[in-house]
Amino acid sequence: MRVSFWTLVSIFAWLILIALLVVPLGSVLLSSVQDQAGSFTLANYARFIETPRFRTAFLNTLIIGFGGLAGSLLLGSAMAFCMARIEIRGSRIVSLLAILALVSPPFIGAYSWIVLFGSGGLVRQTLMSWGIFIPPIFGLWGILIVFSFKFYPYVYLLASGALANINRSLEEAAESLGLTPFQRVMKISFPLVLPALSAGGLLALIHSIADFGTPRLIGRGFNVLATEAYTLYSAEVGSNLSMATTISIVLILLSMFFVFAQRYMSRRNVYHGNLINKPVKKKLTGFPNIAAHVVVYGIALIGAMPAFIAAIYSVRRTSGPVFHPGFGLDSYRRILYNLADVVQNSLTFSFATVALIVTIGTLIGCLVARKMSVNNSLLDATLMVPYVMPGIVVGIAFVAAFNSPPLALTGTAAVIILSIFIRRLPYSVRSSASALRQVSPSMEEAAISLGYSPSRAFMKVTVPLILPGIIAGGMLSFVTAINELSSSLVLYVGSTATMPVRIYIAINDGDYGTAAALSTVLLVLSSTAIYIAFRLMGRDERALL
Amino acid sequence: MSYLTVKDASKQFGGSVRALDGVSFAVERNEFFTLLGPSGCGKTTLLRSIAGFADLTAGSISLAGAALDAVPSHKRDIGMVFQDYAVFPHLTVAENVAFGLKARKVPATETATRVAEALNTVRLGAMAARLPAALSGGQQQRIGLARAMVIRPKLLLMDEPLSNLDAKLRIDLRDEIRDIQKSIGIAAIYVTHDQEEALAISDRICVMNAGRIEQIGTPQEIYADPRTIFVASFVGTMNILPQEAASHLGLESSRVHQWAIRPEHIQLDQGNLAPDSVRLAGRVEKYTYLGREAHVMAQTPAGKIVVQLADPAPSLRMEPGSAISLAFRRQDILSFDSKGVRLEGRGN
Repeated sequence: MRVSFWTLVSIFAWLILIALLVVPLGSVLLSSVQDQAGSFTLANYARFIETPRFRTAFLNTLIIGFGGLAGSLLLGSAMAFCMARIEIRGSRIVSLLAILALVSPPFIGAYSWIVLFGSGGLVRQTLMSWGIFIPPIFGLWGILIVFSFKFYPYVYLLASGALANINRSLEEAAESLGLTPFQRVMKISFPLVLPALSAGGLLALIHSIADFGTPRLIGRGFNVLATEAYTLYSAEVGSNLSMATTISIVLILLSMFFVFAQRYMSRRNVYHGNLINKPVKKKLTGFPNIAAHVVVYGIALIGAMPAFIAAIYSVRRTSGPVFHPGFGLDSYRRILYNLADVVQNSLTFSFATVALIVTIGTLIGCLVARKMSVNNSLLDATLMVPYVMPGIVVGIAFVAAFNSPPLALTGTAAVIILSIFIRRLPYSVRSSASALRQVSPSMEEAAISLGYSPSRAFMKVTVPLILPGIIAGGMLSFVTAINELSSSLVLYVGSTATMPVRIYIAINDGDYGTAAALSTVLLVLSSTAIYIAFRLMGRDERALL
Repeated sequence: MSYLTVKDASKQFGGSVRALDGVSFAVERNEFFTLLGPSGCGKTTLLRSIAGFADLTAGSISLAGAALDAVPSHKRDIGMVFQDYAVFPHLTVAENVAFGLKARKVPATETATRVAEALNTVRLGAMAARLPAALSGGQQQRIGLARAMVIRPKLLLMDEPLSNLDAKLRIDLRDEIRDIQKSIGIAAIYVTHDQEEALAISDRICVMNAGRIEQIGTPQEIYADPRTIFVASFVGTMNILPQEAASHLGLESSRVHQWAIRPEHIQLDQGNLAPDSVRLAGRVEKYTYLGREAHVMAQTPAGKIVVQLADPAPSLRMEPGSAISLAFRRQDILSFDSKGVRLEGRGN
């Protein structure tokens, strides 16, 4: 019975992957190599290469990708080093701020930077009145600043973990062999954290390439592939799906290329240290101490700044889109009267997505973790694909696949739920598989030897042990689901708009009060979910990656 | 018929890897039976087959007169103690021990008395309400032991239960396990790679190598009368000398491939020797003082030989290079043929 149950799960998993991944991706690929008549052509790709606009977007994508990578690496590794090796006062607050930066929707960052440093931005205006001119933040530099302060936590969380796990004896050994402190860092510590740095950097790179909201809002003419794909898709006149799908394919290939490049680079660099001699944090004094604190708090506060700005602006008095002096709850009132359905949509969609992700992700996770077979390894590998698909591509792929019968899903709530589901599924499978791998198989065997049938042993012993991990994983999925913008933006219709979509529209319309209030609601919901997750599984910031 | 019989047990993992190769043995009621061997010798596979966690490719197992082959593991009524304790971290100590009784629908009052009794036996009575995470490794393994015993299983299996504990605790707990097993009178199969542990705890030892049984016997037989060169060298220390050493030993060597003698059977030549003694001149290579005993490694014409000195005088000095004379009795020399099988007598 048990065998056939897991076979069913395996078939079910493949059906899901075929319906929600293979078919949409196939439709995207098909649409990109078909002309209007439906016959095979590479004209779209030729056009992509020939058209200066697309060439520029491709180049720009690489620029913001590597720019975001460099910025995140710089900020993240500086912070990681200080936090792991130097005693920083209030380090708990610092890592909370990093988490806040990580979970706040990306476009809140863009919005807050605009509020402060845009043409009429608060800081910029103030500086101008003092006679200091700074250019408005729009354009490439704006995007890079937002990305760096938004994605640095990826590098920080991974690298600080690695730094805290270097056996101090290694560094002491290097020192006793006559290396100077600088040589020691370059020859011992750096190579040991390199895998973590490159993994964190990869996350920053992939998210920078995939991000749609930031370049759209702050780029002001600085177009990247994600924004071009959206423009082509959403143009009121002459919407060009086949060109949008061509760009989508290019985006996927680009992301995949970087994933494999990182894997190739760090293929040998797996270090399993023992932790007999844990690194200690050094207590600095005087100027170096102040400098370290300035660095850490500077990065953390600027990174979390968007969240604070959103919260502050949400309680400013407004009438319509215009801010007035003083504070009030006008924006929240407007949400309550006009946008209650949007909030409700977001909550319904997110809960539905999480329910799906938790049940199906756990089942597949058990399959992958416990039933080793070629089939399951293939399943695990296929699940990596949604991981590298930019949201905008998932959106366009779902439109391409589900626009016409037999699966005419576009415009329904289901299509939004499914699009978020497939994007988040890999995380859920991985986290439940790793939770399961931490439960020693002998635990279940002990129960069996004591007289419980295998299925009862699983229910009585394994399930209670992995449940906190699963709920925690569900909470983190909730955070992703409720903050999702790019695929929903492609897939929503009037009645299925979500909070992120509405925030995006509000910012575009200059209705900053509503955007701030909605963002604050999002942040509160996300923080609550993360609080629950951390309570359940202990504080492990790296689970957020 | 014996209490537990394993007949021609074979297990083949994909391809040609034979984890078990025609293993047969029988265990009596109340017997403490140990499977001893290096890692990968098949002892754990064998244990898991008896528990029902692994299927045999061929062969049969029967317990208390009934064939086990078609019985699923949860109906075998066999208690098991695990190397990693496998204590349920979400249940208290008492709940862990009561776990198997619940499956058997034992009434609550009886459960309570049996759990208390079992916990007292393993000296954890005061810890009943604690969660296992707060306990030490030794205490966790005691929970595992109590949990397996309390169901009054037909057979108790122990898979290297002490290998994750530190040395001193290992000795205490192994004595405890032995006492408990004898007091409740249960058949136990114990897996270990530690030969000293096997000697100390077992009624009989089954030495395994590469999926086969090398020898089954009491600790005394295994140590003093090894049937193969593998057993001789795996259990305790053994000086192994090549065939060519025969002339120095004053022995014939027609069928002998290797000679062996225990370090404690060799003494430093002090004159008064038994009539069949062999005398060998050599030079000290290394002297290792261990308190209760000392080891002298000597280079001799017959090869390198380690001598064990009991109760060495603290003032004794053995400088490397200094000449010594070793002596041992021919009757203590074991001989083995080219297949590693022990030859009776002197092998000639």
